[in-house]
Amino acid sequence: MSPSRSSKVRASPKTPRLLVETSRVLPMVDIEIAMPVGSLQDPPGKEGLAQLTGALMRRGPRGLSPERFEERLARLGARMSIDVEMRSTRVRATVVRRHLDSLLALVAETLWQPAFRASDFARLKRHARAALVSSLDDDQTLGAGCLRQKLFEGHPYGRRLGGNASSLRRIALNDARTFYTRYLTQVPFVIGAAGDVADAELDALIRKRFPRPTEKKRNGKVTVPAPRMPKGRHVIIVDKPDRVQTQLFIGTLGIRTRDRRLFPLLVSNTAFGGMFSSKLMQEVRAARGWSYGAFSRLSHADQRDAWYMWTAPSSDYSAECAKLQIDLLEHWVERGVSRTELRFAKDYLVNSHCFDRDTPSKRLEARIDIEVLGLPRSYVYNYAERIRRVTHPDAKEATAALISPRDLTIVVVASAPKVEAAFAQLPNVADLQIVPFESLRA
Amino acid sequence: MGPSARLIQRLNRGVKSPNGRWEFVREHAFGDELRLQRYRLGNGLTVLTLVDRSAPTVSYHTWLRVGSRDEQPGKTGLAHLFEHLMFNETKNHPYGEFDRLMEQAGVEVNAATWTDWTYYYENAPRAALPLLIELEADRMQNLVLRSDQVASEKEVVVNERKLRVDDHVEGTAVEQLYRHSFRRHPYGWPTIGWMNDIRAFTVDDCRRFYRAHYAPNRATVVIVGDFQEQRALSLVQQHYGRLRATRSTRTDRVRPEPAPRSERLVRLQAPTPTAKLLLGYRSPAFSDRQMPALSLASDILFGGRSSRLYRLLCVEKEVSTSIRGSVAPFRDPGLFEVWASLQEGKTPREALTLIDGEIARLASKGPTANELEKAINQTELSFLHGMETAGGKAEQIGFYETVVGNGAAVFERLRALQSVTSDQVKKAVARVLIPSRRTRVEVLPGAA
Repeated sequence: MSPSRSSKVRASPKTPRLLVETSRVLPMVDIEIAMPVGSLQDPPGKEGLAQLTGALMRRGPRGLSPERFEERLARLGARMSIDVEMRSTRVRATVVRRHLDSLLALVAETLWQPAFRASDFARLKRHARAALVSSLDDDQTLGAGCLRQKLFEGHPYGRRLGGNASSLRRIALNDARTFYTRYLTQVPFVIGAAGDVADAELDALIRKRFPRPTEKKRNGKVTVPAPRMPKGRHVIIVDKPDRVQTQLFIGTLGIRTRDRRLFPLLVSNTAFGGMFSSKLMQEVRAARGWSYGAFSRLSHADQRDAWYMWTAPSSDYSAECAKLQIDLLEHWVERGVSRTELRFAKDYLVNSHCFDRDTPSKRLEARIDIEVLGLPRSYVYNYAERIRRVTHPDAKEATAALISPRDLTIVVVASAPKVEAAFAQLPNVADLQIVPFESLRA
Repeated sequence: MGPSARLIQRLNRGVKSPNGRWEFVREHAFGDELRLQRYRLGNGLTVLTLVDRSAPTVSYHTWLRVGSRDEQPGKTGLAHLFEHLMFNETKNHPYGEFDRLMEQAGVEVNAATWTDWTYYYENAPRAALPLLIELEADRMQNLVLRSDQVASEKEVVVNERKLRVDDHVEGTAVEQLYRHSFRRHPYGWPTIGWMNDIRAFTVDDCRRFYRAHYAPNRATVVIVGDFQEQRALSLVQQHYGRLRATRSTRTDRVRPEPAPRSERLVRLQAPTPTAKLLLGYRSPAFSDRQMPALSLASDILFGGRSSRLYRLLCVEKEVSTSIRGSVAPFRDPGLFEVWASLQEGKTPREALTLIDGEIARLASKGPTANELEKAINQTELSFLHGMETAGGKAEQIGFYETVVGNGAAVFERLRALQSVTSDQVKKAVARVLIPSRRTRVEVLPGAA
């Protein structure tokens, strides 16, 4: 990706930082305001606070009831969300071009004059609890959430964005107000726009609609300790009745964003489980038909994030599938991928990179990640070059050093009586735990 | 003579086989910059092109006029299984090579099947277009079907069915909704097929299906993105011009479904913490002139946080955690679906009373001018979103071509929606959202 001519990064004492990706093809504009504040700032015991604060802001500004606020948004033909992630909060809005000015006015009011009404807060807490209950319907979400909690037990990376039933009970309206004034008004933020708008236009609109930024006291950065690897192999069965199929997650710790081995491991993982032609997919789905999908994913953050495999095999052969996946994993870590596989994965990553930037909003998102998440610029602007530079020894060394097949967290969502005995027989399992699925909301 | 007609004249020079000769049909403009061109090859292949250089990518869609409506009882799910088999070997490429060549070129490949169609798509870097044309033309008539590959793919589909239906509350409920709403019409069976049918397919079933439905005269190719039109058409001519049309005609004579005379009720139990309510009202075909009004009615009732039923059920009464509604975009009359996921302890009856009351109000008084304006603005934004990528444009054009019979109709849709009146919305609601013409599925927590 190279910076487009019509875009720039600018920050002055009088205006916030602006990023613009202009495209005149369609008469619409995406707006994103991003801040380096997320669920990592949730106080211990009050998990879910950042998300609840975002949801409360989304109820609209002072002087406008939530109903009137929604009416105004809808009349503009606009959509707006406040998305809270682990490391950032992003206010995203989209509007047809002719209503951009009115939308910016509404977004600015929402951000800088949020109503924080007690009635809205009580309602949102009830909604958050109901959402926890609803999430129990989705087996894949249950499995993914459980893997993360077990892999990062006691570590901030293991927190659920939406919290849990007991943490939600502890959060009061004042906590949300304090979170807002302590973090969201105190950190530097970035305003981005993508679509049918140019730099100068946006600049003028922002000056007109947004308050002048005051001096920021915080940089928003949260320092988290390195997570501790759960040693050995641990099986957790999330027990749900009447399952004919299972959701199977096998994971361990992965890599840090700024680890020099990130790109070698990324290429190696792509060869192992990132494509349809990858070994994992070929062995599980193409050769045996055991699962509709089979992939491995590598996440990265300031500290080591997760690496995991996902499949959804029938209860009849779920443990057999897990055994096959562990064998493939051991082989991958011990032997690495072949030179041909490595070359193939590099071609795939370089050639498909155009889809990371084929819309103005995707190009904007990448630039915001640099500003807000501290992603090195070269990861975005020299992506293809960094992929091409990965050598076979680099990929092998990174895989062997970072992925530990001895230390695996194995989560299976299933009807426990159907799979318990078979999973207990997996090689070198240190312990097996059965967790009722309803308990995951607690 | 326009530039497209001149282009065709050049491409046809020296081509003797009638199958490989181009015909230029017409051009449709979309805004100031985009032009949709319609061409047809002698063997019946329709090709729609739209050059859009906003990104260095190209999207290549192959839409086939075959879906689960073309199946027979006992052989349900064959169109979908076949979609999977299309990624296997051909006479020219051994097993696995299709995916390898595509992935190495950085191409995103996938496919989908529903009631009225099957489509295959590639989103690719622009340089990969010749590869897409070669591989898609090849698999349209040179597929090799082996028993071991069919057996393995059947197992994959069995697992897909378990994933999407058997272990999925909403998947199970929707399957039951259509089963009880359509007792004669093929829309009554699931596109993925009944489990017993999937397990029983033979290689011969698959071969017969391929011969009957996969041919240039049953397909539309849509190419959108950053490409050189003459070069693309020349390659299509080279690779598809050799293919023969099929003589088999489409089974358009499906048994029509009589309108239900009273509400049909289905109750299910599932391992879910909360109850769900699913309603399906008999709705007109996608090409019906009531459809724009019905689509806006759906937005007024369910579209976003300011919609009537979201506010009523999710905010004011807190009966549901979510509610949504949509009209099935089918060739034949389908269903206007409503799905409500209820809060813990709430019953389907509580939700139903509120839904019925609000629909009755809309049917008697119609929407306000403000509501209509909101719905139109929201629809415009959704339309623009759908048109953002080359793949989005190709999908919309291919869908309209296959279901409505005119790919360019997608560009007229917005105008049709903008001209809908409050009275038309009111009448459409009164005609379609009638309790006695619906099927109701209630899912209750408990062991299945």
